[in-house]
Amino acid sequence: MKPHSVCLSLVVVVATLALSAAAVPTSYEDDIPIPDGVSPSNEHLYVPDEARRWKCLDGSKTISFSDINDDYCDCKDGSDEPGTSACGTGYFYCYNIGHVGSSIKTSRVNDGVCDPECCDGSDELYREVRRCPNVCEQVGAKAKEEQARIGAIQEQGSRLRKQYIEHGKSIKIQLQSELEELKTKKTGQLEKATLDAKDKLDKANGMYDKYLEGTKNEREAARKKQLEPLIQEQRRRLNVGKETKNHLVQTCQNLKENHNKNYHDLAVKDAVSAFDDFVSRQSDDDSTTDESDEKEGTGTEEEEKKSENESSADEQLKTLMDDTNTPLRDIGTLYELLDGMRREYNIEYNDEAVLAAVKVIEDFEDKWDTVRREFKDEPSQDIPDEEPVNTPEAEKLKEETSQAQTEYDTASNEESKVSNRIQDINRKLEVDVGPDEAFAQLIDQCFEYKDTEYTYSVCLFGEANQKSHSTTYLGKFSSWDDDDYSVQIYSGGTQCWNGPQRSVRLEMSCGVENQLVSVTEPSKCEYLFKLQTPAVCPVLPEHTEPKQPVAKPSSSAKAVHDEL
Amino acid sequence: MDPARGHTRLSSSKKTILRSVLALGLVLGCISAVKREDFKTCAQSGFCTRNRAYADYAKETSNWASPFQLNPPSLRLQAGVLKGELINTQEEQPSSRPALSFELQLIDNDAVRVRINEQDPIHPRYDGVQDTVIVKPYGLANESTYQFKQEGGVTLIQYGAQNQNTIKITSAPFKIEFLVNGVSTIVLNEEGLLRFERLRKNQQESAEEDGDGKLVDQDAEEGGGGGEIKIEKSELEKKMEENFWEERVIRHVYGIPEHASSLSLKATRGPGAPYSEPYRLYNLDVFEYELDNPMALYGSIPFMLGHSKNISAAVFWMNAAETWIDVEKNIESKSSGILSWIKTKPVLTPLTKTHWMSEAGVLDLFVFLGPTQRDIFRQFSSLVGTTALPQAFSIAYHQCRWNYNTQQDVSQVDAGFDEHDIPYDVIWLDIEHTNGKRYFTWDDAKFPNPTDMQQALEAKGRKMVTIIDPHIKMDNDYHVSKEGSDLDLYIKNKDGESSFNGWCWPGNSQWIDFYNPKARDWWASQFSYDRYKGSTKALFTWNDMNEPSVFNGPEITIPKDVIHYGGVEHRNVHNLYGTMFHSATAQGLIQRNETNQRPFVLSRAFFAGTQRYGAIWTGDNLATWEHLEAAAPMLLSIAISGISFAGADVGGFFGNPDAELLTRWYQAGAFYPFFRAHAHLDSKRREPWLFGEPYTTQIREAIRTRYAYLPFWYTLFHEASVDGMPIMRPMFTEFPEDEQVFGMDDQYMIGNALLVKPVTKAGITQSKIYFAGNEKWFDIMDYDKVEQGPGFKEVASPANKIPVYQRAGTIVPKRERPRRSSKAMEHDPFTLVIALDSQGQANGRIYLDDGETFNYEKGEYLLREFRYSNGVLSSHDPNEVSSSQDQDWPTDFMRRFGELRIERFVILGNKSPLSQVIPHQVAGLFCAFTPVKQVLECSQGPSGGHICTVKEPQVVLGEEFVIEFK
Repeated sequence: MKPHSVCLSLVVVVATLALSAAAVPTSYEDDIPIPDGVSPSNEHLYVPDEARRWKCLDGSKTISFSDINDDYCDCKDGSDEPGTSACGTGYFYCYNIGHVGSSIKTSRVNDGVCDPECCDGSDELYREVRRCPNVCEQVGAKAKEEQARIGAIQEQGSRLRKQYIEHGKSIKIQLQSELEELKTKKTGQLEKATLDAKDKLDKANGMYDKYLEGTKNEREAARKKQLEPLIQEQRRRLNVGKETKNHLVQTCQNLKENHNKNYHDLAVKDAVSAFDDFVSRQSDDDSTTDESDEKEGTGTEEEEKKSENESSADEQLKTLMDDTNTPLRDIGTLYELLDGMRREYNIEYNDEAVLAAVKVIEDFEDKWDTVRREFKDEPSQDIPDEEPVNTPEAEKLKEETSQAQTEYDTASNEESKVSNRIQDINRKLEVDVGPDEAFAQLIDQCFEYKDTEYTYSVCLFGEANQKSHSTTYLGKFSSWDDDDYSVQIYSGGTQCWNGPQRSVRLEMSCGVENQLVSVTEPSKCEYLFKLQTPAVCPVLPEHTEPKQPVAKPSSSAKAVHDEL
Repeated sequence: MDPARGHTRLSSSKKTILRSVLALGLVLGCISAVKREDFKTCAQSGFCTRNRAYADYAKETSNWASPFQLNPPSLRLQAGVLKGELINTQEEQPSSRPALSFELQLIDNDAVRVRINEQDPIHPRYDGVQDTVIVKPYGLANESTYQFKQEGGVTLIQYGAQNQNTIKITSAPFKIEFLVNGVSTIVLNEEGLLRFERLRKNQQESAEEDGDGKLVDQDAEEGGGGGEIKIEKSELEKKMEENFWEERVIRHVYGIPEHASSLSLKATRGPGAPYSEPYRLYNLDVFEYELDNPMALYGSIPFMLGHSKNISAAVFWMNAAETWIDVEKNIESKSSGILSWIKTKPVLTPLTKTHWMSEAGVLDLFVFLGPTQRDIFRQFSSLVGTTALPQAFSIAYHQCRWNYNTQQDVSQVDAGFDEHDIPYDVIWLDIEHTNGKRYFTWDDAKFPNPTDMQQALEAKGRKMVTIIDPHIKMDNDYHVSKEGSDLDLYIKNKDGESSFNGWCWPGNSQWIDFYNPKARDWWASQFSYDRYKGSTKALFTWNDMNEPSVFNGPEITIPKDVIHYGGVEHRNVHNLYGTMFHSATAQGLIQRNETNQRPFVLSRAFFAGTQRYGAIWTGDNLATWEHLEAAAPMLLSIAISGISFAGADVGGFFGNPDAELLTRWYQAGAFYPFFRAHAHLDSKRREPWLFGEPYTTQIREAIRTRYAYLPFWYTLFHEASVDGMPIMRPMFTEFPEDEQVFGMDDQYMIGNALLVKPVTKAGITQSKIYFAGNEKWFDIMDYDKVEQGPGFKEVASPANKIPVYQRAGTIVPKRERPRRSSKAMEHDPFTLVIALDSQGQANGRIYLDDGETFNYEKGEYLLREFRYSNGVLSSHDPNEVSSSQDQDWPTDFMRRFGELRIERFVILGNKSPLSQVIPHQVAGLFCAFTPVKQVLECSQGPSGGHICTVKEPQVVLGEEFVIEFK
């Protein structure tokens, strides 16, 4: 290689260093230069000792002051290179005259990127060439505009928030006093009135019961005879229901295990996921009913029979009908998920497992009433009224009873109305509406956001949902996520196939109106709602302008930048 | 679908399950999601069954001899080519059938090619694989470089640079033996299993074999593979062949990817064989693939390397049809151990035998005798091509997910990397970014301004990749679909007329026939900026589903009897389809602009030669520790078979990795040649910062380590592009003499310098690692930690690092300044880490160019060799012959890159501390500038001698230098 060219390469290296040495601002005390990239607040840390040496800020090493910003990393903490990328840790300060000074990571110095944070381009000085234009004037102007816009929003938002706070405070007081009032009213008069009416009703009922007691045996025998065929029929139906349900569960299980996953048929995937949901709900139900099952399980058959005999025909029939409803409801669910698949699945794939399930549903179609969720030829049985007892004495007793009932209903309605209101007030008072009560205004307020596919809704401190043709529950309010009261979490939504229970993170930002401005699903079934609301606007003191950006144009800095 | 056929499938799948249970018993107890019955076993493949049966028959028959005989009088060796005829003595009417043609070529790079074909067949066999796979016409050995001799029935050819190789061809029974320095290395047809099934006419028609009558597809019963398209009678060619080669002294064979299996291939036949199925090569889209299994996966390279202590040899079976390979290992050791085995060379018992079975095509194979692995890689890559020098950004870190949902999502993820100070270069968009899976389009609602989006990325030196698959949605309102129809560019049904259609992501789709030259050109033209709306020069491409994946096809791929351009039946070319697509896409990216930019295309399917077009990855893995562990052997098998630019999805595609698994995967992935994180649609978000501390910091460190070593990686890519050396290397490639490492695939080398051992189990903070060789190894995270080879050692592998060591005797170039993208490091100075061996020596290289254009082909690059010896470090251009080349120096290129300086030398393993830097020939000395200030600092490590750092040695890359240290 030729020697002359060697010089060229070195000229550049040295020249760059020389230039930066000439360009650094000087401190006000004497002629010691302040190294490039040091922020005004840190200037005092970059002072050499008498021997023109300097200690790394972490104290790890002492170097010559001229080694600062020599584009080589000497200090472990990177404090010797605030103006170069040599260490890549620490921050480089841009003065951004005309705008606001700011710091960027030194790893972004001279990386060829015009960082918006350094609008003066002072971070991109490479081989004498400033690669990024100084756009601080434009940026500053824009920022001012933006600041003004935000200022206006904040100002108005601030006013609204103050109203919210006022409202929150007053509503709290209002609610508290209403609560006291209602409590007094409840304990003072309503409870007594209800009790009195209850007494009266009990007495009337007692009389009537006594009368009925006298005729009990005849009536029960008649009733039993009347209901016996219905009970037999209902037993049969219960069995049919259980068998059919098991058949459908088996069908779904086969589908789940044997369908060809390579086809990625969404209709099949949906059906399988709905089936998984179904199974998990079933096992939930099983675990909650375990206790009662156990009790039943401990009794012998005889005991069961005995208890059957003891319970009235009405009770028996009612129990059977309730029991039958469970498999019928499940059949309905399974039928719908399979039928949904049948309508959407891709016939071209010829997936045997899918075809088998479709066959089952086709066979089932004519028999099933999808609306009533029961077999078409087996509409639910009506329980016939008991043959009435028609003696004059009975008529009179009935009349009295019914009147007492009406009085009692009125009194207890009145009381429960008040109780409900008390509950509601308590709920509202218990909600964490923020330290200044600003969110009280928003309790139970609902907002919607429509994207191309869905409409999302949230009622604050209540529930969140996703609607298209059907509604998917995304969860209910569980907590604030932060100390600043700007992020709420809604959790416990419908379980996701292959995923978690649905949940919502609701992030609030200052806005003049309450509105949901975006909804996204960053991870499957984890939604992000963004809400604008005055409730999180900063509370500004009255009659002051919103904060202006403060530039810190120290005179020396200005001079330097003019030079550059 | 024929229902009867459906039933057949069902019953045969039951059989399969039963079989595997019987064969594997409790060993394979885990349940996996892969639907095995979707994929064929050998028993379900007619030609595989017949050939295995033939092998059994041969074994059971005493004095079995191959029925094939060479016709010696016909053998002629002329201009490097030996030609003759092969006669099958068992064929019923030998006289009525022409013999097979036999040809052996001596190639000028010392490789040997053996071809066997039918002469005058009823229908010519497909012989077109060579047209796409062989990179350029090769030369034949000059007559003066070999000797030829015939004695009785034996033909001997002596050849090779040092005349070290001998080919011994026995005429009856037919056999070819390859010897290196007198040691028998590879034998073809030693066991006499060569079969060549000829086309026959339909027997029911009992016609003669000459006329134009219908031909019976011998595999008719399984040719369609169980899908809806059933082959009854094919009018097209149908043939198969097989061969047998074996290695006499070779215990380990490697290669034939892609399988989720160990690097050293396992036996598939013989007593105690771990696998019952042969290794299968048939490009397939396998959902949630099973580990430790010879099932076919997404790519195929019929290249096998054998190695033993002083011998390496390889074969390349150039066939793109479905292929099965049986491996048999003869483990009965006669009298002595392996070591003495080699010494008693004249009477060696075969150790490893392999049996190759292909469904169609001609027998066309290459033998590479090395003698070193480096020679083999050079020989093989000179035929099928070397790794294309990639775009520099593409060897940095890639962030992918199915899917980044919207433009805003993209910008938030991008901002997340900056906020957490984690470097990345590329963000990827999967299928959801399109308008209804119509490739080359955008979902306008979600990506309203793709151009702005890419420009915003580019402003930070970053890029974007979008997915483009080979299935085209059938939709006349979709311009690509319509043009494809109008120009008649789709693969045809077996009638050769109508276009094949099947199901994939967009629903009903058609597949571009990339065998049609017009289709390739047309496809390439789709990437021009005016056709691919919303694309910019910062946009690159991902080719997925190119096995091809057809959801409703047999084995989830296209039926074998569909027809390509020129009437070629798909079964002949199946394993090459994805590569044809890959190459057309790469061509599209090259020709879309006038700035001479290199392409970047990732493909899932691959074949021999794919490395010429771009990167590949190991497909849809799972977020499990086992899959993390499986990635290394898979990538090593792929690497030695020619494809260096490969990686596995970091984090695992399916499922949700926990924070520890994800972190460990990043630490391993930072040492995959292709480094990309990817995740399934159903998985939770897992961008590097989402698990919080300490994981964010640990992942950041892993990715930054990758970036720090980018100069080293790029230099290795250069080496791979020149002579085919793998980048990720098995231990046995670097330590071919150390038998301890021949079966090792849980640790590996990057180039010749870095030893990597991924942590693949939960809760591990200690790793057992093997330090090969007699030299020291320096922990790259802490140069104080030094290990001495050879031997196993437990080393610390706490959560923040996996063991990675620099080998003594190497010099590794780095760039240690953290940046947000590789582009942002372009002007950064370098650090050289010089790890001295016990002789106080070290060597290394750096290669540098503009990282994005083809200008390196015009000489615009820098290659420097660093040598440290006797306390003197020098840098010189290993290619420089004279100085006349740089008349216009400094060129623009040299201005940009030659002046980049080396800011630091780190010298490890000094016996005593250095105290003096004496520049003998340093740039600055020739000039009158202020004297350079070199600062030298040394510290003593506990075991590794002294670590010395030289600050600002005042040297630049463009200049040679000599510096002495005392």
